Parts: sequence; structure tokens; C-alpha cells
Amino acid sequence: MGEQPGRVWVFGDYRNYFQNRVTLQLIGKAKELAQEIGTGVTVLVVGERVRQYAMEYVAHGADAVMVAEHPDLSEYRVETYTALVAEWVETYGPEILLAGATAFGRSFFPRLAKRLRTGLSADCVDLHIDPETKLLVQTTPAWGGELLAEVITPHHRPQMATVHPGVFEERPHDPEATGGIFYPEVKIRKEERIRVLRRRTRRSRKIRLEEAEVVVVGGRGLGSKAQFEMLEELAELLDGEVGATRPAIRAGWTEEERLLGQTGKSVRPKTLISVGTSGALQYTAGILGAGTIIAINRDPHAPIFKISDLGVVGDAKSVLPILLEELRKRL
Amino acid sequence: MNIVVCIKQVPDVLSLRMDRERMTIIREGVESVINPLDYDALYMALELKRKEGARITVMTMGPPQSEEALREAMGAGADRGILLTDPAFAGADTLATSHVLASAISRERPFPDLILCGVQTVDSDTGHVGPQVAEELGLPQVCGVEHLHLEGGDLVAAARGDGFVETIRARLPAVVTVAGGAPSMIPVPLGAVQDAFAGGEVIRLGLKELSLAPEEVGLQGSATRVVRLHPPKPARQGEMVEGPSETLVEALIRKLESLSILDEEEDHG
Amino acid sequence: MHFSEESRISAHHNYLVNGRMTQGFVLGEPDSGDRFFFLADVVLPAESTPRISARLYGPEGNLLCEVQWNRLGRNPGRCTYRSLEGGFRILDEAGSVVLEVMTEKFPRGYLSGISGRLFDEEGRLRLEPLGDNSRIPGEPPRFLTRPYGGF
Repeated sequence: MGEQPGRVWVFGDYRNYFQNRVTLQLIGKAKELAQEIGTGVTVLVVGERVRQYAMEYVAHGADAVMVAEHPDLSEYRVETYTALVAEWVETYGPEILLAGATAFGRSFFPRLAKRLRTGLSADCVDLHIDPETKLLVQTTPAWGGELLAEVITPHHRPQMATVHPGVFEERPHDPEATGGIFYPEVKIRKEERIRVLRRRTRRSRKIRLEEAEVVVVGGRGLGSKAQFEMLEELAELLDGEVGATRPAIRAGWTEEERLLGQTGKSVRPKTLISVGTSGALQYTAGILGAGTIIAINRDPHAPIFKISDLGVVGDAKSVLPILLEELRKRL
Repeated sequence: MNIVVCIKQVPDVLSLRMDRERMTIIREGVESVINPLDYDALYMALELKRKEGARITVMTMGPPQSEEALREAMGAGADRGILLTDPAFAGADTLATSHVLASAISRERPFPDLILCGVQTVDSDTGHVGPQVAEELGLPQVCGVEHLHLEGGDLVAAARGDGFVETIRARLPAVVTVAGGAPSMIPVPLGAVQDAFAGGEVIRLGLKELSLAPEEVGLQGSATRVVRLHPPKPARQGEMVEGPSETLVEALIRKLESLSILDEEEDHG
Repeated sequence: MHFSEESRISAHHNYLVNGRMTQGFVLGEPDSGDRFFFLADVVLPAESTPRISARLYGPEGNLLCEVQWNRLGRNPGRCTYRSLEGGFRILDEAGSVVLEVMTEKFPRGYLSGISGRLFDEEGRLRLEPLGDNSRIPGEPPRFLTRPYGGF
């Protein structure tokens, strides 16, 4: 008998590998969870050219990888991956199955959970093992993020969850790491009813919000596109990136790619300056990992102040021009 | 062409109360709105109706007052509404909710060509219902759709992926989740909602009519349980500054300096 | 114990054989002194090249050559050693490829593919080409858990 794969599984979403860190972040967290329940972490690597990623996952903490390589798996397709992973789950019976809440994860995991007739929590902001029951406790935002719900899956297996990028920390790359490798049998079912006609990369400029050390965010309170542009200048002066809340995007002041929050990106910059944002949790869910949060808002009772390190009660219209002038002098 | 739009009535987040037994939100007596992201799905259905001629059925699972959401959608142009309501449905997670929705959809004659959902709800925020209904009905799914048109017995859609947009052709019938970002306000003609309440067909279906057993639905039919519901702990309670703009800017500059953001450009070598 | 039944991979360098990755493996008897063996040894993070050692025979069981840490040693079979970009190739007297080792470099790791046609001292086929990789038809390899060393 050889080793069995560890029973905390992480789906390896390796597209845009060097920008998309969510799988690595999940492996980091999965190691802690696995330790609590006396098992290891297995990362699923499915695709056509995956060898490099299998090695990278081991380097970042995977105890084992389960690999399926085949030209028919070259594209991420929900039906094909659902059929394949469901087979593996039924064969090996993992306790926990996690994935990043990427666009693919959010369309693939629910279908997989339904096929397996098990529970799934979405966009978790925390995971831990209950010391008594040994169940996975899944903390997810509810009510637009106004509340946090702690959810368990008491009787169904595996316990599944998707996790928002930026919530957990990845372990550093360790070239001395080793891990088990399994090549289970693979059943490939192509989805005949769906065809991808073409694909267009959508990146207007190189927007590297998730990597920026400084992020400046604009919300409804800025009032106008002109004010938002001042914010863009602020970001430039501080060598940072610009983010936005949904109202600012709806108003047409900037593009969808800059959206932060539950339906957008999560960022963990060293410094985040949030201007004209009230602090609705749909938004703040995406910024809680920031090192220092500075908020500027007219309303002293705005919820954003509950999560900031420095709260500046003032009107962006008056504050920004003076701030920009002072910064231009110094930089 | 027949289109089903799954919508959800969600309480206005500001007037929340909790049922501590069931760890669920008490929906009665609270201001309700159609889940904002479902507007995008409804809008897409109305566009298809305008271009291709289609019968739109809006469907929702919820307490009796969810009928208001259906009426609002009908006032905007949906042709009929189906309210899936039963005390047994309460406390459902998406596994149970998708089961009820799929059961109702599969009773439709003719079977719909297209099933539209918003990409996620603001209350349970999962975005699972679309894919789970698709799985139960054995239909292809296309998620994150920005726009679509019909071609023969297929749909052709622009679907948002991770850093890209794919043009996808899918055979109907199919389930589509509609991405946010489309105009959210559907102009509802004055008096249209009133008319919708007066005329317009809203069918109510419960456990019996759907031939479902209590174990399959609601809390019993769910795989997940909410064990705690709490406001997020404030992670930081930092200093606050008020006063004239000059004072505020001073405080900001001091803070930025303390974070070494205003230092000379370092060599990141 | 050097060996394990399941394969392990390393974050740093692996071999591709049988279409599968492994950090190191052995065929045959390296310590025998006079019998076939093929050793793809574990490569530690300080190194960036594979570690191949072998004693290779022809289909008649005739000794072709020995390889020590990627270099040709004793060569009664008059084989040719060809250095390639990213690897090496050993040809027999007739010019057929006996063994080819090519290393692919990833941003943070290496993968060395092994292909060829290897026979042991009894003329049994121990490795044969499969696509652009290889297959092990006979006795399965033993997988290494740490460097074998000594070659």
C-alpha cells in the first residue's frame, strides 16, 4: 500500500499563475486545517500542461498533488471538470474541498457541490476547525456583508468552500519541499453543448491592484468624475493603484476592473486610503487585509471609520486639492 | 420563446432582525427589494422579449410577501409570476433552494428555453443557485454573461472569465447567470405595478403542488447550517481627526510620512 | 531507506518517465558492478542538472557503455555522446539513440525528460520510447526518497 492522499483538498486554479495567488493562499490555510484534523493537504492539478504547477504547489506547502494531464483538459470547462473531480471525490473521500472564488471557482464549485449533494459556502473570509466537533467552520459575509455567518456542514461530505482571494497568506516558495504525486484514473466528459468561439484578454492597462503597496479607493462621496480624477492623481503621486466601489463604477467614473469588495477584488496593500466611501461591507470585505487603512468621509458616523486606523472627517472636495498640493511640493 | 427569470426578494439591509432559533433573518415586516443583481437578469429577459418576442415568467422562492417582487417584475414587463412558498421551504441553503426551483421549472410546459439568474444575491451572497439549478436539470450553464443573442437553437454570449471575456455558444435550453454592471434601473411605467397587482397571473406553489417531501426542502433539505450570525468585529478603532481642511491634510501627511510612503525612491533591486 | 512505493516529486527538480514525474528512480542494480542499472538520482536545490548514471547493454545483452553522472565512462560499444542544448544524447555505433535526457527549465524548477531504448545484460527491454517520453515495460522502477549518491 502506498500513501493515501491527504484529506484536505484544494483545487489548483493555476491560470495567470503569477498574478492569481489564491490557490497558494488556500494551501497555506489548508495546512493549518489539515493539521487540526490529523491529515495532509492534496492539491488537484488538472489540465494539459500542468507539471510546473504541480511542482510549484509542492513548493508552497502541498503534501501531495493529484494530477490529470490530457489535451482534452486544456481548457477549464465546468462540466468536464465537475465530472472528473466528482469521480475522484467519490473514490478518495476527502473531508474538505476548497477552491478560490475566482470566476471559474464560483461557477464550477456550486455545480460540483450539487453533483456531490453536499454543502458549499461562498467567498469565505475565514475558515477554522471547531476544536470540539472537528468540523470546518466557514465564515462568510451575509446581508451584503453587514453580518458574518458561521456555517457548518455537519453531515454531508466533503465540506466545501470557496475563498475570496487575498484573505489568507501563502507560504513562501521552498525549493527543498517534496510531496507525493498521484495520477488517478481520469474520466473525461466533454461538454458537447457548449463551445468557446473566442477569448479576449481583458486588461485595459496593466492593472495590478492585488500587487500594489498603496491603494487609493474612491466611492460615491467623491461626487463627480473630476473628483475621481483627483484621486487618480493622488495614487500616482504615491505610486499606488486606484480602486473603486460599485457606485463609483456605476456612475462611470472608472472601469469595472477596479472594483473592490465581494463581487470584485480583495487587496492587501501596506496602505489603503479610502475616500468618499461609507464603508458598506460589500466593499470593506475586500480591504480588511490592508496594513493601514486611512479613510476620508464627511460623515463622522460612517461605518468605514470603524475599520480605519486613521479617520479623517472631512469633505473630499475640500481636502483633496490641499492634500495634492502638499504632496506635489514634497515629491 | 419561453424565459424563466429566477429572482429573489431580499430585505433592505438596514432593517434586519434575526430569528435566533433558526439562525435566519426574519423577513416579515421588513422593507424588501428585488435583489439588485437580479435586475440585470430581468433586464436581459426584457431585451430578449423586445427583440425576439418571448414569454417571461419570473419565479421566486420565499415567504408570501415575495409576491411583491414578482408584481414589480411584472410591472416592468414580465408576463407571469410563480411564487414558490411554503413554511417548509424556510431556512433553505442553496442545495435545497435550487431543488425547489428546479422542481418548479421542470413542471413548466413548455419547458423554458432559457433560465436567467442574477450572478449573486446580496443576502446570502453565494451565487450558487444558477449553477445548481443547471446541474439538477442537466442543462449547460454559462456564467457571468454580459450580453447574449440567439442564433438558431443556440445562444451566443459574452461571458466574463478571470481576466478575459469568452464568446460562448451554448445549445438551448441553458441556464445563464447575468453579470452585474448592466444598467440596473428598468424604467417601470407609472401605474404598471398597480396593473400588475390587479391583473397578471401569479401562481402559488407549495410542497404539495411540487410533489416534494419535507426532507428535501428547507432546513431539513439543506447540507449547511448557520451556527452563528454576528456583526463583524471592528478590526481597528483608530484615531479620528476633525477640523478645518488644513488640519486634516496635516494629519494625513504625518500619517503618510510615518508609513514611509513619502520617502525618497528606494532602489528595489 | 531510499525507496518508496508511491512517487514523490520535489519542488526543485523532477524526472519525467512513463509520462509521470518523480524526483528520482532506479532500474536494475547499481551496486552490482556487472549488471544493468539506470539511476536518475535526486537533484538537490544547489544543483541545476540531472544526475544520470547507468550501465547500458544492447539487445543481445552486449555491454554498450557506462554513464557516470551524465558523462560517458567505459565505452566498449563505441557509443557516441552528444551534448545538446539543455541535455545530452547517447547513440550506439549504428547511430540509433540509446538514451536522451533533456531538461526543461521552469521559472522556479526543472523537469528532465528521459527517453530511449535500454536493454539489460540478458537482452530484456527495460525502457522504450513512448511519444516523446518513455515507458518502462519490465520490472517497475523503485522511487527514491533521498539521493542515492555515490556515482
